[in-house]
Amino acid sequence: MLMITIENLTKKFGDNTAVEDISFDINESEIFGFLGPNGAGKTTTIRILSTLISPTSGKITIDNRDSLSNGEYVRSITGLLTESPGMYEKISAYDNLEYYSSFYNIPVSTRKNNIEKYLKMFDLWDRKDDLAGTYSKGMKQKLALSRALIHEPKILLLDEPTAGLDPESAHMVRIFIESLKKERTTVFLCTHNLEEASNLSDRVCIIKKRIIRIATLSELQNNDKNKRAEIVFTDDADRYIRLLEGTFGVKVIHTEKNIAILVIEKPEISNPLIIKKLIDSGAGILYFNEVKATLEEIYLDLIKDENTK
Amino acid sequence: MKKAGIIFKKEIKEVIRNKNIWLPILIITAIFSIAIPLFIILGSSSLLSDEDTMNFINKMFGHVDDPIRVLIGFALNQLLIFLLILPAMVPSLIAPSSVIMEKENNTLEPLLATPVKTSELLLGKSLTAWVPAFFISTISFIILTIVVDIAAFIKLDYAPLPNIEWIIVAFLLSPILSFILTMASIIVSSRSTDIRSAQGIGAVIIFPIYLIIGLQLAGLFLLNITYLLIGCLVLLAICPLVLKLAVKVFDRENILTRWKMKG
Repeated sequence: MLMITIENLTKKFGDNTAVEDISFDINESEIFGFLGPNGAGKTTTIRILSTLISPTSGKITIDNRDSLSNGEYVRSITGLLTESPGMYEKISAYDNLEYYSSFYNIPVSTRKNNIEKYLKMFDLWDRKDDLAGTYSKGMKQKLALSRALIHEPKILLLDEPTAGLDPESAHMVRIFIESLKKERTTVFLCTHNLEEASNLSDRVCIIKKRIIRIATLSELQNNDKNKRAEIVFTDDADRYIRLLEGTFGVKVIHTEKNIAILVIEKPEISNPLIIKKLIDSGAGILYFNEVKATLEEIYLDLIKDENTK
Repeated sequence: MKKAGIIFKKEIKEVIRNKNIWLPILIITAIFSIAIPLFIILGSSSLLSDEDTMNFINKMFGHVDDPIRVLIGFALNQLLIFLLILPAMVPSLIAPSSVIMEKENNTLEPLLATPVKTSELLLGKSLTAWVPAFFISTISFIILTIVVDIAAFIKLDYAPLPNIEWIIVAFLLSPILSFILTMASIIVSSRSTDIRSAQGIGAVIIFPIYLIIGLQLAGLFLLNITYLLIGCLVLLAICPLVLKLAVKVFDRENILTRWKMKG
């Protein structure tokens, strides 16, 4: 079931185009990684999805309703974690959650249960009565995440959810995000942490004002440009790697000591040629392995290509 | 409108806790509701022994049988205009901070992301400024009435307040003025990037009140029932205009994208 559909969305602020003609769908209980450099339009898209700002053109459907004419409903089923989440510093953490949760149409008892549930989940229950202003940055981030979840939204919009968290807390948050799939929550995840996006996302969308690519990680890795091989030689890799220059579809991207990493566009054609050339030259080969490109490598390549357009 | 009530309840607690808002209000209340009227009434006899004061009374009012009552009546009329400072000042102290502080603390965006309507947010924020203004003004008028009447009764055996002018100012002019200045402060907040500039502009907004005070002190006119009622009508006509402008300016996109976000 589709939870979010964006069609030809464009947002302009005066002469500045923040996002241009983007379209995608997100399924229920999908974790959708939304990646891009600073100024790519990620925060603008999140604000449009949470109906905080309107698109210049395009259509957004959320939970089968047009978001422009159903802003209140959309906000009632979405939870938003902003990039710089703020709290009312002069009131307690508990009162902060109590205040925000009172805007949702949920019974008081459920509200109280949820506040307790999330404060306990994020290890904040013991300090629930402390002023939010006395919390550390990481604690505030966890409190903000609790705030986004307090009404148990169908859609969770997360802008850098683990920014400022210590490794242990960040790990806990990632496990929690993953667990939301079981509760059929749809997660829209904006992050600069590509490892996090890679581990959590069912699909990723790479954006720089316009969409560069939407795919699963394995689809991205299986792209011809991202098929890689690692050759481990018995001695210095540079000595042999020069022999491969001009081989069909082969590009050396990295050598270090006795290891070479190659991009091989058509492995079924190129690999036999590579192996033959190396054996004919007397190269000592210890291993010849397929290497999966990381999301970071793929991302950087795509952004680099986009920048050269 | 329940959500506007939630906002009001939370905000008013913060206003009550904020001494920076209360202290100047208390000082002004004490000066205009207690100190000045006591000085006028208790010092009226010695003022009348001054030849210039008697000349002034004769020039303004002609021959009068009871100059001390005329003098007190005139002084209280002067004081009346000063009491418009409170309903003007309170909204300009509260409204900008209640809006811009949200922005500076990055709490506005999560608040706008809840199902609260913009009109409910505007109403909640407006009430936070308007209710204390009305409450303070009313308390101030009551204190002043008690202080003046007790002092006048002890000294002159009569109670001059409340009179019709005071009732018009306390229950008609003050609330209308507070409403306009609340809306004006919210409009200013929506165009300001920080609390200081908003409060700076807010201070300028209440300039017309100072102008009226100056004109009256200069003897160019004396507030009477006619002037007060005309003032009320003019201000009432302005109310829908400022409300319309505030609603237009105070929309989600405007307040999120026009105001500078703290990173």
